[in-house]
Amino acid sequence: MIESVTQAALSSALDGLSTRQRVIADNIANINTPNYQAQRVTFEDALAQSVSQGSGAVAPDILPSLEPTQTNGNNVNLDEETLNSIETGLRYQFATQAMNQQFQSLTAAMKTS
Amino acid sequence: MADAIGIAGTGLTVHRKWLDAISDNIANINTAEPMSGSAFQARYVAVQAGPGTSGVYVSGAAYGSATGRVTYDPENPVADADGYVRMPDIDLGSQMGALIMAQRGYQANAAVVDRAQDAYQAALKIGSNG
Repeated sequence: MIESVTQAALSSALDGLSTRQRVIADNIANINTPNYQAQRVTFEDALAQSVSQGSGAVAPDILPSLEPTQTNGNNVNLDEETLNSIETGLRYQFATQAMNQQFQSLTAAMKTS
Repeated sequence: MADAIGIAGTGLTVHRKWLDAISDNIANINTAEPMSGSAFQARYVAVQAGPGTSGVYVSGAAYGSATGRVTYDPENPVADADGYVRMPDIDLGSQMGALIMAQRGYQANAAVVDRAQDAYQAALKIGSNG
C-alpha cells in the first residue's frame, strides 16, 4: 500500500499538472512579447504507459506549441491558454483529493488492530 | 505551483510598466517644447522572455523622434522668434490600441494568479482529514 502504483501515478500527475500550470503562466506572461513561442506540457500518454508497466513514475515533457504564429512572431493563444489553465487547476484539485483518499485508507489500515 | 504565481507576477510587472509608459505618452501628447531642445519623446517598453520558463522582463526602453512635429504656434510662450515649437510625434490611435493590449495582458496575468492560488490551496489540503 505504501508507495503503491496508484500513489506513484498520482504523484506523477500532480508533478505534470503543476509543471503545466507553470508553463501556462509563462505563456500568458509573454502574451505580448515579440518572437515568443508558446510551450506545451505532455505527460498523460507516458503516464498511462508507465502505469500499464507497473511503475507509475514519469517526468513531464515540455514541447513547443503548434499554434499559428502572428506577424510579431508570437504564437500565444489566450483562449486556449485560459481553457488549459482552468482545466489544469480543476484536474490538480481532483488529483489532490484522490491522493487524500489514498492517505485516508492508509490511516484506516493503521488503526485496525 | 507557487512558481506559476511568480511567473504571472513578472507578466503583471511588464504590463504595468507598459501601461505607465502609455499613460505618460498620452499625458504629454500636447506638450510643446522650444525649438532649441528636443521634443517630448514617446517611450516604448522593450520586453524579452526570461530563460526557460521564468516569465518575462523589461529589457529596455526605446524612444520616439526627438525632432517631433515642428508646428507654427506664435502665441505659445516657448515659441522661438519665428513662432515655431516642437510638438511630440505621438499617434494617439496607436497609443490607445496599445493601452487596450496592455490592460488585457494585465488582466490575463491577474487571472492566472487566481487560478494558481486555488491549485496551491488544494495542495495544502493533502494529508488533512476532511
